[in-house]
Amino acid sequence: MVGRNIARLNAVDVVLWGLRVGVVAVVVIGTVGTLIKGRYNAAQWFDFIMFGLTIGSIYAQIALGYTMVYGVLRLINFAHGDIVMTGAFAGYFVAMPLDRSGFLEDNPVLAMAAILLVAVIVSTSIAVLTERIAYRPFRRVVGLAPLICAIGVSFFLEQTFRGMFGSAVKSYPDPQWQRAAFHVFGFNVPRIDVLVIGLALIFMGLLYLIVQRTRMGTAMRAVAEDGEAAALMGIDVNKVVVFTFVLGGAMAGIAGVFYAFVYKQVYFLMGFTPGIKAFGAAVLGGIGNIPGAMLGGFFLGMVESVGPTLFLDGIGIPAPYQLRDLIAFTLLIMVLIFRPHGLLGEALAKKRA
Amino acid sequence: MGALLKWSAGVALLCASQATTAATVGPVTDDLGVIRIAKGAPIQIGAYWVLSGADTALGLDEKRGVEIAFKDMGGKLLGHPLKLNAEDDGCNAEGGQTAATKLAANPQTVIVLGPACSSAATPGAPILWQQGIVDICTACTAPALTAPTRKKEYDGFARTVFSDSEQGKADATYVHNVLKAPSVVTIHDGSPYAQQLQQVMADNFRQLGGKVLSQEAIAPTDVDMKPLLTRIASEKPDLIYFPVFTAAAAQIVRQARGTPGLEKTKLMGGGSLLSADFIEAAGPAVVGFIIGYPDLSPEAMGKNYPKFVEEYKKAYNEAPISGYHANAYDGAMLAVKAIEKVAKTDKDGNLYIGKKALRDAVFATTFDGISGPIACDQYGECSQFKPSVLEFTSSDPKTFGVGKNPKKIWP
Amino acid sequence: MMRRAALIGLAFGAGAVHLAAVGVLLAMHQRWIIVEALTLGQAALLLLAGGAGAMTRGPVMGALAGAAAGVPVVALLAAMSLVPLNSIFIALSHDLFNMLTLGVGLAAGVAILIGGGAIAGLVGVLLSNSSQMVRRAIFPGAISVVVAGVFQELIQLMLQQYEGPVGDFRDFIYTWEGLSLQGAIAIFVLAALLSEVFGFIWRMRAERTASHDHRRERMVRAGIALLILVLLPMLGGSYVGQVLMLVGLYILMGMGLNLEVGLAGLLDLGFVAFFAVGAYSTALLTAGSAHALMHLPYWAAMPVSVLLAVAVGVLFGLPVLGVRGDYLAVATMGLGEIVRVIVQSDFAAPLLGGAQGILEIPKPSIGNFVLGNPVSLFYLTLVASAVAAFVAWRLENSRLGRAWEALRDDEDVAQALGINLVRAKLLAYGLGAAFAGLAGSIFATMLTSVYPSSFQLLISINVLALIIVGGMGSLPGVVLGSIVLIGLPELLREFGEYRYLFYGAVLIVMMRLRPEGLWPSDVRQRELHAEDETLALDAGTDAVPAQPR
Repeated sequence: MVGRNIARLNAVDVVLWGLRVGVVAVVVIGTVGTLIKGRYNAAQWFDFIMFGLTIGSIYAQIALGYTMVYGVLRLINFAHGDIVMTGAFAGYFVAMPLDRSGFLEDNPVLAMAAILLVAVIVSTSIAVLTERIAYRPFRRVVGLAPLICAIGVSFFLEQTFRGMFGSAVKSYPDPQWQRAAFHVFGFNVPRIDVLVIGLALIFMGLLYLIVQRTRMGTAMRAVAEDGEAAALMGIDVNKVVVFTFVLGGAMAGIAGVFYAFVYKQVYFLMGFTPGIKAFGAAVLGGIGNIPGAMLGGFFLGMVESVGPTLFLDGIGIPAPYQLRDLIAFTLLIMVLIFRPHGLLGEALAKKRA
Repeated sequence: MGALLKWSAGVALLCASQATTAATVGPVTDDLGVIRIAKGAPIQIGAYWVLSGADTALGLDEKRGVEIAFKDMGGKLLGHPLKLNAEDDGCNAEGGQTAATKLAANPQTVIVLGPACSSAATPGAPILWQQGIVDICTACTAPALTAPTRKKEYDGFARTVFSDSEQGKADATYVHNVLKAPSVVTIHDGSPYAQQLQQVMADNFRQLGGKVLSQEAIAPTDVDMKPLLTRIASEKPDLIYFPVFTAAAAQIVRQARGTPGLEKTKLMGGGSLLSADFIEAAGPAVVGFIIGYPDLSPEAMGKNYPKFVEEYKKAYNEAPISGYHANAYDGAMLAVKAIEKVAKTDKDGNLYIGKKALRDAVFATTFDGISGPIACDQYGECSQFKPSVLEFTSSDPKTFGVGKNPKKIWP
Repeated sequence: MMRRAALIGLAFGAGAVHLAAVGVLLAMHQRWIIVEALTLGQAALLLLAGGAGAMTRGPVMGALAGAAAGVPVVALLAAMSLVPLNSIFIALSHDLFNMLTLGVGLAAGVAILIGGGAIAGLVGVLLSNSSQMVRRAIFPGAISVVVAGVFQELIQLMLQQYEGPVGDFRDFIYTWEGLSLQGAIAIFVLAALLSEVFGFIWRMRAERTASHDHRRERMVRAGIALLILVLLPMLGGSYVGQVLMLVGLYILMGMGLNLEVGLAGLLDLGFVAFFAVGAYSTALLTAGSAHALMHLPYWAAMPVSVLLAVAVGVLFGLPVLGVRGDYLAVATMGLGEIVRVIVQSDFAAPLLGGAQGILEIPKPSIGNFVLGNPVSLFYLTLVASAVAAFVAWRLENSRLGRAWEALRDDEDVAQALGINLVRAKLLAYGLGAAFAGLAGSIFATMLTSVYPSSFQLLISINVLALIIVGGMGSLPGVVLGSIVLIGLPELLREFGEYRYLFYGAVLIVMMRLRPEGLWPSDVRQRELHAEDETLALDAGTDAVPAQPR
């Protein structure tokens, strides 16, 4: 019986190893093939990387919200992507009048601060409201009911915004200062990309400091470690949860505005896809782990941008960018095969079983 | 088990026997049956479009086009109120089938408008025709739906929108013969519409002797087009052809401008981008962007289309949100005109409409619509396709108007 | 006390403002419940004010709460008349203003709103405090009128095929616009009477059988429900058949996912992949188009499709064997998306048709009889569901089922008990996939065409939602969940753009009221109940949601 068990396990292992070898082989052959073809010059490769970092920094910010809420509540906050959308919408209604009056063009710093502030206020309020109305009643409920409720919240938010602001695609303003580019060593670096990546890093650093250094942050980590023990130690769990949603909502609002400034579009379903991707990024880094979420976000962004060209071009697959999600998710699964708890995660998934 | 199957088969047989039969009701005799509308009762016109999910704007726009058409009729026809029963089809096959089944189950459904997506029309139209109901499609452009080889079950299908095969051929001809561009790259978004159109265009372009460097694809939800555009730039095409929908097309237009290597490359899109919404979404980069679209006769267009847009804005508090409202308006007009032709009123004020007669009337009606002249051929192709190319001249959405922005540059 | 009533009222009023701003209110206003007397929008407003009243105690508080519910709406009206809000909020139109003020201008409108709110609140609180007798009459009566009014199109559709007494009844209660006033009164009285009579019988029986068998009661109810399900399409016609057929497909998928999630505890967000495999296999094996590999009859293609789905299920399970909990959710979601991307891609288009899908899939036939219409296909689905339900039920009570349950409760303990984890997990994926493959196969023949757009992540989410809403691990729960989450949105198809707003709200409300699901399995219920008791002992900070019994 035991012997048969082992034999079976081995067969499984062989398949798994075959899979790993196969994926690695595709990656290596594709990469080598692409590089030998020499279709792209250094500047173009540099561009691929910049694009990846830009979208990656946005994924990273969204992923933080997923990961913090998961750490504290063990809840996959499915509606988090839609919080991003609410922030982008709020920013839009500030950015448009500012653009029309010429303020956005003349005072970029003040204007951006105002846009971000309003976006953060709105996204944070909605995140906290969501927690109060939809998630708090489930604090002690085991099972998947909270997840389904979160899915319901996601639909509800999307459709509410569609109803209020219409289903058309709205367009963010495009001031001159965002369109310029730096030229470094012959490489072309768009200013908006630098701005978004830089600010994202600053905000994420700030968030990390808040979680590590402040009293509230410490309490948050204590609750994430062991909620019941933390409650016994006199920590107000409700307050900590609200605080977590405030932080996550704020990051989502910022991410929403950045996303909209880079890609210029807001519409009611815009949060869904980046939300799903960021959720993947959070898991990739090790869900519940803050540096992991950032790492996962950047990793996913890079794979999406560089991957199709680097891996598939060499093999001669048509329309590689249609397979962007395939590459992203395949690598995600490969990471989980090698490291079942993500890049930086620990074995905390057992708590939830 | 066997018995059960037999039993259920029997039940099914029972239910299947509702098919259409010749009938005489009131003053009308018809091979496919007659609809009787009592005095004061509404003329029920069914419709199915995508009204939920990511493509909501596409379907909602058409629904509004029809609502405005009804409003222009005063909401009444032959003394009966017009009632629109609009269903959601989700732009997929199962939604189209369910919506069509619901519309077909209503014996008062006179005629059906929609859907927006060919994938919904493919299962939907035969279900309606089985009950003798004509389906006038307002945005499904798949060539197979009106091909001479189409099956009998599509006999009741007509459309006030042109076929991809015409459009793709015209676009290829323009790019090759007028622009004299030797090489192109195409992009589609995985939707049947865009995939088909770019394929037809690419095939025709090759036949004319042009070079198709590659045929790329994206997901409709993609926002980051720069990696793809950088890849395309390495092939140095003279033109990029992407008949995709507003959100993705606007991203391509915007991001192509900043991509090194694409400075001299022309960009060309499809008819779904003919809206103020697209101008807003694409921003300043829209100037000089061209789309292939059927030629809209200036007389008909100049008179009625701007008025339509004004009505639209007044009624819905936003500019037209997608590209096929005009086709939908014309579809509704075609339906109404055909009903007017065949409907008979008895002395008590009841209205009778023969189904076969209505089908024939739809296929025989001609008029000048706001999307161009409408006249159906025997396979249900009702818009008279005359190719043209339009160029956007300003990035201010308020200047949107066919003929001005975008303005006609060919022929 | 007063503050509480006022706050409740304001909260409900905020709900009304939300409805107005989203545009639902106006859309509802365009639909009669009772022709020329009451629109759905007005009913919604009254319901909100009444609901606010019902949550308070005493007539004064009720009236206060109801009036308070009118305040946010009044504030909205004031804002609308002062600022051109509709340049941002597109739904705040002139028509909405007229609807809320009943077209009599702002001042009079405000009085009506506040006054009407107060009266509705008063009625609400009186009703909630009234005797059981009264409530048993009024609620079913009111609900019946609303259902008959809102779904008038559908009900008329069903009644339209009948002549004679049914036709006369239809003409009595309905005009072509909707429910007539006489019809509404008739339905109200009828429903109230029926409710009283059945309530009386029910109590008599309950008294006679002092310790009545709970299980048997449920079986009887399930049996009645099943009978209705079998007969409904015959009575209701092809549209009802079509809706029930979709419900049936989701029941099949739900039972499959239930094996994975409910029994084995393997959270799967990529379930749609197996559905796609079933559909595409059938398409490739039977279609008349160029993509077909073979032209098998449907009955031969179906088992092959199921087997292929099983094979893919096992393949699917292999890489994620070591992945647990929520990591598994993401991994499976990724696998599901991979399948969708491949199906849609130009890369696989020569084989799978790409964006253009595969057309000309024949309908199944028995002898010369073609299962062509929705009703006959519904019975095919029903038979398939019955077989699948039997299999699922046997599996649940088998050795394998118990192994799965051990796996769900604690993977490490299960391994220590000598359960072969690899085998148990792969079987869960494979067998779960079989159900979805069967559903996919029927789906393909139902549509006679398959397109990649039918296999979105949303399907996986819907299937997961329906088994949770139904009650995880419970077969009747799957049926109930499918009816509520798939059937209801189908019936709301005419609400088009607002469909998913309602869907989201239903998910939230349902989960808040019954986190254990509508029809939880006995084990689950006990577990949750035990949880409650330990929580009650625990001096927790949170209110535990009430468990309605």
